[in-house]
Amino acid sequence: MAPRLLILDDDDGIRTALSLAMEDDGYDVTAWPSAEEALAHVASGAPVDVMVVDLMLGGIDGFTFIRRVRPLSDAPVIVLSARQDKGDIVAALEAGADDYVTKPFDLAELSARLRALRRRLEVAQPSSEVVLDREQGPLVLDPAAGTLRRGTEAVHLTATEFRLLCELASPPGRVLSRPVLLQRVWDHGFFGDERLVDVHIRRLRTKVEPDPSTPRLVATVRGLGYRLDVR
Amino acid sequence: MRGWARGGLRTRVVASFTLGAMALAGLAALLIYGLARGYLVDQRERSAVRQAFADASYVRDGLRTSGFPVSDVLGGVAPPAGAAILVRRDGRWYSTSLEVGDEDLPAGLVGVVEGGEAGTAWASQGRRPVLVVGVPLPAVDAEYYAVTVTSELQSTLDALRTALVAFALLIAAGAGLLSAWAARRAMAPLNAVAGTAARIAGGELGTRLAPTSDPDLATIVGSFNSMVDALEEQIQREARFTADVSHELRSPLTALVTSVDLLQRRRDDLPERSRQVLDLVRRELDRFARTLEDLLELGRLEAGASAGERVDVALGDLVRQALDRCGRPVSLLAAAPGGAAEVVVHVDKQQLSRALVNLVDNAERHGRGLVSVSLRREGAHALVQVDDAGPGVAEEDRQRVFERFARSGSRGSLPGAGLGLSLVAESVHAHGGAVWCEDSPQGGARFVVRLPARARIPRGVPA
Repeated sequence: MAPRLLILDDDDGIRTALSLAMEDDGYDVTAWPSAEEALAHVASGAPVDVMVVDLMLGGIDGFTFIRRVRPLSDAPVIVLSARQDKGDIVAALEAGADDYVTKPFDLAELSARLRALRRRLEVAQPSSEVVLDREQGPLVLDPAAGTLRRGTEAVHLTATEFRLLCELASPPGRVLSRPVLLQRVWDHGFFGDERLVDVHIRRLRTKVEPDPSTPRLVATVRGLGYRLDVR
Repeated sequence: MRGWARGGLRTRVVASFTLGAMALAGLAALLIYGLARGYLVDQRERSAVRQAFADASYVRDGLRTSGFPVSDVLGGVAPPAGAAILVRRDGRWYSTSLEVGDEDLPAGLVGVVEGGEAGTAWASQGRRPVLVVGVPLPAVDAEYYAVTVTSELQSTLDALRTALVAFALLIAAGAGLLSAWAARRAMAPLNAVAGTAARIAGGELGTRLAPTSDPDLATIVGSFNSMVDALEEQIQREARFTADVSHELRSPLTALVTSVDLLQRRRDDLPERSRQVLDLVRRELDRFARTLEDLLELGRLEAGASAGERVDVALGDLVRQALDRCGRPVSLLAAAPGGAAEVVVHVDKQQLSRALVNLVDNAERHGRGLVSVSLRREGAHALVQVDDAGPGVAEEDRQRVFERFARSGSRGSLPGAGLGLSLVAESVHAHGGAVWCEDSPQGGARFVVRLPARARIPRGVPA
């Protein structure tokens, strides 16, 4: 079945061109000019596999849309940013976006990003359960089933957060640099924006750490990268 | 006046203060000297006259009663030290001193005394000033003269003059120092204005002069601050305008780029001539997009807003990526001697790689193709050399090529917006480096970027 792509952009030209291109790429596209309509679409229960969202919108803006859509859908979100303003991009990532491209982008670039976010977990991932934290929970990652459980309760992660955690957990205790994580999770090359990693690590910590301000599970190794410390 | 105007304000204030004070002090000294001299001379004359009258009456009495010869009578008079007494009687001169004779007497005074009047006169004996008192002695038919050397008075006056000159000079010096101090105090607020203006020019637009309660300064502080407010507002307006333009241009550009991408996917369906047109559109669209990005990046750089995060990165990696992004073989990076490709620089990766891409691009578009890129380490600096196969850049154009929209003037017809190299210059300068153009040994142009290199440190986990 064709993956379902939601496009949210108030610019008719971009929306139309993008819809045509993405249909060419084999997506089942629904395109909306306003956040209100796009939210209503997701809230109605229509399945969405991936979203492309413009930040600058009339009415509800892109940041607010991402925050409101997150409880409804785990689908990866790529942000279209007209501004290269660094603050905007970080704010969008904090709101729950998974990646971004700046206008004007070329189609090959956007297609590659979408593919990367929708990639299935690689075979190299641990296939059996990994106990991340024996003391609290226990916190158990099951890559095969795509779940993270604390005790009997499921911990809710977005697709990208889940993949990031799987990378760190294969195997745990190994330091992974930001460029390596960018390459493996986002399929970005040398010029990738390392803030993607930092923001996602921050979001991941709020979900898996008992105290996110003093992380003990996902540790920062100064100057090198991140490491998962199983306890 | 021209000469005056050339000196600094402070110099002029100090000079006029000093000269004025010197003139006033000189005038006061002259006045004091005149008064003191008049008084002292008067005193001296009075006492000389008193003494002369006393001695004259003694001489007169001696001559009248005893009939002694004049010289005997004079022998009985004891003139004070430094004084001599002369008497004329019957046309003959008698003196108590061998050194003083009638030739020392002023003729005018002698005439007065001959006429029967007493008088005083100043004369000089050798170089010494003398006071002469003449008294007629009609009872004995003689004339009496007392000649007093007033060297004591003279030395007093000399001392007074020296003291007064010293006093005047001291006053002038004091006035000079005082005015210099006062001028510096008065200029201090101006220095504050200058310092603040320099900081604002350096990009600290938020800097303002501290408000003051001094009514003399409040006006200048107020106008200065409101001027900077206006300036800052204008700069922000321009930045906002740039951001708005960027947004307005980028949306249609994005739609265009996407549409052309779509067409290109279908290029096999198109007739040959349409394909050519499509390629042309694609190329021009790329150029337009790149120029727009360069322009916006340049605006950000000039506003100092593009302070991206700086990281340690191997220069060789940056160059290889730039070649890759321009679609050029990575093998164009010449093997660098002594591991120069591993030189680590501390840079904003995005910004510097954009600069390197622009350099490669420039060689491709304006230099008839890139020949090679080489890296060198030179002391604390890393050098990137980009050689092209073009005709080189004329000596007089080597500065100008880094200006915005500069074209190679002598040849004139080279296409290109010429934003790329100015962006390179801005980026490299922002990293504390330098960029210049010289002749390549192979005949083309060589663009050299020099960046501060990191000390050799172990690299992190390789990417």
